[in-house]
Amino acid sequence: MKSLRRDFSSDPHTANVTSKVFVRSTKSGKVQKIVRELYLRQDIPCSSRLCTICPTVAPEDANGNIAPFVLSEQPAGTTAFPRGHYIVPDTNALLNGMDLFEHTGAFYDVIILQTVLEELKNQSLPLYNRLLALIKTDEKRFYLFFNEFRLETHVKRGPDESINDRNDRAVRTVAKWYSEHLRAVTKSKKEKAIPAIVIITDDKENLRKAKEENVAALSLENYVSGLEDADKLLDMINESREARHAKEISGELFYPEYYSMSKMMTGLRAGNLHQGVFNVSPYNYLEGSIKVAAFDKPLIIMGRHNSNRAISGDVVVIEVLPKDQWKSPSTKIVEEEIVTKNDNPDAGDNEAVVTEREQRALQEEVRQAHGKNLEGRPQPTAKVVGVVKRNWRQYVGTVDSSSTSSQTTGRRQQNVFVLPMDKKVPKIRVRTRQAADLLGQRILVTIDAWNRDSRYPTGHFIRSLGELETKGAETEALLLEWDVQYKPFPKSVLDCLPSEGHDWRVPESKDDKGWNGRRDLRDLLICSIDPPGCQDIDDALHARQLPNGNFEVGVHIADVSHFVKPNNAMDLEASVRGTTVYLVDKRIDMLPHLLGTDLCSLKPYVERYAFSVLWEMTPNAEVVSADFTKSVIRSREAFSYEQAQLRIDDLSKTDDLTQSMRTLLHLSKILRQKRMDAGALNLASPEVRIEADNDEVGDPLADVKTKAMLATNSLVEEFMLHANITVAAKIYSTFPQTAMLRRHATPPPQNFEELINQLTKKRDMRLDVSSSGALADSLDRCTDAENPFFNTLVRILATRCMTSAEYFCAGAHAESEFRHYGLASPIYTHFTSPIRRYADLLVHRQLSAAINYEGEDGRATTEGSITRNRLEDICRNINYRHRNAQHAGRASIEYYVGQALKARGEKLAADGVDSGIEEDGYVMRVFENGVVVFVPRFGIEGVVRLEDFVLPGDSTDRSVEERRELVTRRESDFDPEEYTLKVTEKGHESSDRAMGVELFERVRVNVSSVKEESGRGVGKRRVRILILNGK
Amino acid sequence: MAAQRQASSASQTPHISPAELSYIYTSLSLPGAPIRPDGRSATQFRPLSAETDILPGTNGSARVGFADGTQAIVGVKAEVERTALGIEALTQAEQEEYAAETGGNSKSDGVKQGSSSGQGSWVQMAIEIPGFRDDDALPVFLAEMMREPLVESVAGGGEGGMVGGLKGRLVINRRWHWRLYIDVLLLSQPLSYPLPLLSLTTHLALLSTKLPKLKSKGEEDPFFDDDWDAAEYLYPRAKSTSTKPSSIPGSISVHKVRPPVTLLVVSVAENVIFDPSREEIAVADAVLAISVTHDTDSGRLKLLSIRTIDPPSRLTQPGVPNSENVATLGSTAAAEESVIINPSTGEEEVPGVWRPRRGGVKRATIAKMVKMVLEKGGVGEEVLEGLEGVEVG
Repeated sequence: MKSLRRDFSSDPHTANVTSKVFVRSTKSGKVQKIVRELYLRQDIPCSSRLCTICPTVAPEDANGNIAPFVLSEQPAGTTAFPRGHYIVPDTNALLNGMDLFEHTGAFYDVIILQTVLEELKNQSLPLYNRLLALIKTDEKRFYLFFNEFRLETHVKRGPDESINDRNDRAVRTVAKWYSEHLRAVTKSKKEKAIPAIVIITDDKENLRKAKEENVAALSLENYVSGLEDADKLLDMINESREARHAKEISGELFYPEYYSMSKMMTGLRAGNLHQGVFNVSPYNYLEGSIKVAAFDKPLIIMGRHNSNRAISGDVVVIEVLPKDQWKSPSTKIVEEEIVTKNDNPDAGDNEAVVTEREQRALQEEVRQAHGKNLEGRPQPTAKVVGVVKRNWRQYVGTVDSSSTSSQTTGRRQQNVFVLPMDKKVPKIRVRTRQAADLLGQRILVTIDAWNRDSRYPTGHFIRSLGELETKGAETEALLLEWDVQYKPFPKSVLDCLPSEGHDWRVPESKDDKGWNGRRDLRDLLICSIDPPGCQDIDDALHARQLPNGNFEVGVHIADVSHFVKPNNAMDLEASVRGTTVYLVDKRIDMLPHLLGTDLCSLKPYVERYAFSVLWEMTPNAEVVSADFTKSVIRSREAFSYEQAQLRIDDLSKTDDLTQSMRTLLHLSKILRQKRMDAGALNLASPEVRIEADNDEVGDPLADVKTKAMLATNSLVEEFMLHANITVAAKIYSTFPQTAMLRRHATPPPQNFEELINQLTKKRDMRLDVSSSGALADSLDRCTDAENPFFNTLVRILATRCMTSAEYFCAGAHAESEFRHYGLASPIYTHFTSPIRRYADLLVHRQLSAAINYEGEDGRATTEGSITRNRLEDICRNINYRHRNAQHAGRASIEYYVGQALKARGEKLAADGVDSGIEEDGYVMRVFENGVVVFVPRFGIEGVVRLEDFVLPGDSTDRSVEERRELVTRRESDFDPEEYTLKVTEKGHESSDRAMGVELFERVRVNVSSVKEESGRGVGKRRVRILILNGK
Repeated sequence: MAAQRQASSASQTPHISPAELSYIYTSLSLPGAPIRPDGRSATQFRPLSAETDILPGTNGSARVGFADGTQAIVGVKAEVERTALGIEALTQAEQEEYAAETGGNSKSDGVKQGSSSGQGSWVQMAIEIPGFRDDDALPVFLAEMMREPLVESVAGGGEGGMVGGLKGRLVINRRWHWRLYIDVLLLSQPLSYPLPLLSLTTHLALLSTKLPKLKSKGEEDPFFDDDWDAAEYLYPRAKSTSTKPSSIPGSISVHKVRPPVTLLVVSVAENVIFDPSREEIAVADAVLAISVTHDTDSGRLKLLSIRTIDPPSRLTQPGVPNSENVATLGSTAAAEESVIINPSTGEEEVPGVWRPRRGGVKRATIAKMVKMVLEKGGVGEEVLEGLEGVEVG
């Protein structure tokens, strides 16, 4: 029997057609063979400015232009390549040195291969996105070369060739092709002009083969060594690199191995394993918790072994532990800095995953759990068995001075620990050559890996932010920690601004297209009321009596959507930033300065575009009708809250503007009462205000002010709430699926359990959490005649039991879930601050579409529509940004308070004594070895450890070290059921050397800023709170 | 009704006159050396062209074209499916486990055995023949005729073997298995009985079929390597560097286990004829579909099934002897002297006059047919060797 094969050799097109075959596993468990056909082409340009051929063949776009060529004709040279060179990195080089590639000092003219980019995408999505961003910027001259699509550089995988080998070969093929191509196209020019093509790879085999094939190739380290500033750059190479090809993991394995992906998936589907985000307790770095869908309450993860290399924020898979290992949540403050003081960063043999000290700390907890308390009955615990997604980011920290070796002999590489600012993140082992220089600096590091044989994660140094405690460094640290985009707006964004700049005016002629669909409200007596010094004025108000006795009330909001068109660079930038971030001395704008503080801002005396909500209200603040319109207004005055209050209270003023403000105030009071009757909560947050514009000479602490609540504050607030609610209803009726709304979920009653328990025990007060109204009422009853702050304290604690409000897309929840719990409103959104919140901008677009506003070009009606998926992405981002902005703002205030205390301390130190400042504090939480005290004067809360209790007979002005020594002599008696802690001096049973504190108690505290003078964390400043008296 | 009958018989009856039928029959039945219309020897196959991996989107595929112009393509697709554990399967597994334990084997052996029994229904075969609906008798019958030996052939284990045959190979673990879809497409009209063509094509397609490489272990949900080059053959191949001397001298046997092939064999009088053409089928006394497979234990061929196919010669019109023909009545005297009894039917036979074949076939003839297929160096091995040449070359 004979068989014949078809012969393809005569087909001229076979060389151009090839295919890529791979297996794809879908989520539903299907396994498919995927075949992609590739049609190879020859017109993909090399993108070198030297090239004379490629510009003639490169594909053109619809306008006949070709993409600009990226690679410079005179690339930088190094000692090894004096004629200049183009860099071709392979995937490993990018994985190990992405920070280097982003560095502005080196790594220009880089050819990124499609092969490499795809491989990177499979290995690390964050790095892939960073690389894409690099390719997009013009400065770094990164060129993405589609080598797989070009005939000459396409590489077919050979038989028995692994994918890696094939990709390495592809890299070498490209390098070869580039050299030949450049030589050919620049024949006429001098040989000198041709840059070298340098492969950067960390793969030894690839280096060897490149040498054989006569292609220039260097390892990342070798390449960097040849650059200026090599020491600094070398530190930026990923540390886990060596682990990859060196050695089977040597020595002891501290952590259990993760389950295989398929095992985890099987377990997750079967419901034996659970997935969730790993959170570390702020008070105890050894304890984490995970909220999983299957259980109401979070599961507890105790100790390093169980948390198994998970870092706060990672998405992990957990397994519930058997019941005999269940524990109660810890009642002890455990801080890494103190427990692991003497760890050696050079991994020694004696290193155990759980040090004895940690072991002891844990034992205490177990003992507690098995102890008498009913309240803290053991809760289910779990262990981490795998990580689905690492959410490692870049961390700001300081080098632990005690971990650097004493003799700082030059540039020797050494291991140091970096203590992240975020206490939930373990210290990071970093290899550096500049340990001595980095001491006392805020530095940015990243985590590269956490292997089983290492107690701590390893990472590498990225850059220094500057000296500790300098304003610049600390501010940047804060912004980095909270992922705030603080880079200046790129040119593409600024290009979207109106070309007139500050000279932009509302067109005079009403025939101008700018007036299309706008109502002329310039004759209304509109004014704005804001905090003092406010530049970005979002909102203005007016009220006037109508002939029928009713009132017309108008809320006018800056018409930002007029200036920010959907999907241009400015809109995209704003959607990424999500919100303006307010720091004590700095504002990170969401929109460029020109818009935020001028063109959009409803400044007084000038005409501005606005989006107005107009109601007709009866004198009893019943809404008769509501109307929405784009408008042109002219604000008569910009008041601060105080000024407005003064003007209203000044009975001698009877002008129309003042009268209208009085009307507004009157109506707002009725509205507020109605809202309260409906069950709105009056919540409290521990906020202070910093008025930073004071001169140098005064008491720095005088700037720290608790927020005063004036009637005018609530005036503005009421109408803004009312406008938001009205707008929410309107856009929901027009866009039932895609309206941008805001909800505050009803907190589950178990969130309040502990607080209820505490109140019952300590004060015999009941908290009714059945509804927001009931809660509001019961909160009102929680008062203490002797302690006026007690009520606020309870409100602060109650707020913490609730979930946070969030933006969402109407289609994502059932209508019954739209409720805003805190405001007791069935529907809510944000409409009134489009200058500083992106959500409001979207709502503006939706509202203008809902009222059929056509805009200047008749396109505005479509601007409001947006797909639900996109909207959900935006919601996710702005919720995240919003939360971070709040944290950043708070952290900024905290830092400022610390600095003010320090400044005061220094001032007083000049006079000889730094005794801190005495204030009232309130006990918020009681632990076994300390308490958390809240100091309302400064809006700070701090941990007070045993040594910081000033017992009768102690002197207050002991130094930190002296106090630290006290700890060994202190004993505590903690009653978790009564929430009391009694601190005694060892050996002094009598009560004259003892102090007891209990929950909610008011204590006198001494607040000062102290610096660690020796031991670990030298130079670290913190706010120290000493308790001066108790019971 | 006529169409139905046609469909179930070996092929559409060619329009051949009784005289022609008689002529072909006579030349094919010459004792010892039949003379075939195309001059082939009795065991000679017509040349065919074949290639594999022609459909990139499938897990395996093949195309075979016969010299008479008939062509078929076969594509094999595989899909991961959750195994529905019926009570039977459970108890069976338990029993096996029990048996394994009591038999002194370790428990893990029992588990392995329990999980290695697949189900025949995991292989689905669909045949498309132009002019036939997919629920017509011919495609359905053909599909079942090919599927059955496929799933029922159980090869021995051993190195490079397949425990539990194809069914066993499809088991991933207790809860998951592969489902195989074999789609057979006949590109031309079914000029002759398409079974051998389809069988050979399916055989080749299965040989080229690959399944993604499993990365997960044991009872985990399956998880596969995304590199197609790492995919493994459904029918495992020995390394080409194998030092084992192959059973057939000169042949390169890379497959220890192979899917069965079904050959069409006809008998005419005492003669056995392979790869019959349409005309040859039309006059055959018996048409057999013989399924054979390679037996890994003995290294020889093994008979899987024999099916008789209704020979179309039964439906032909008989010729009229001159003695009975009114037109020629009395014109010849020879009629009386040549009364021969047909050896198989016992009927009176007039030489040169066509009579539809009736009755059975002799045991000896069947034995001869089977022997010719199975014997060492016989037709079966020749066919398998030829097919292997397609796949490997």
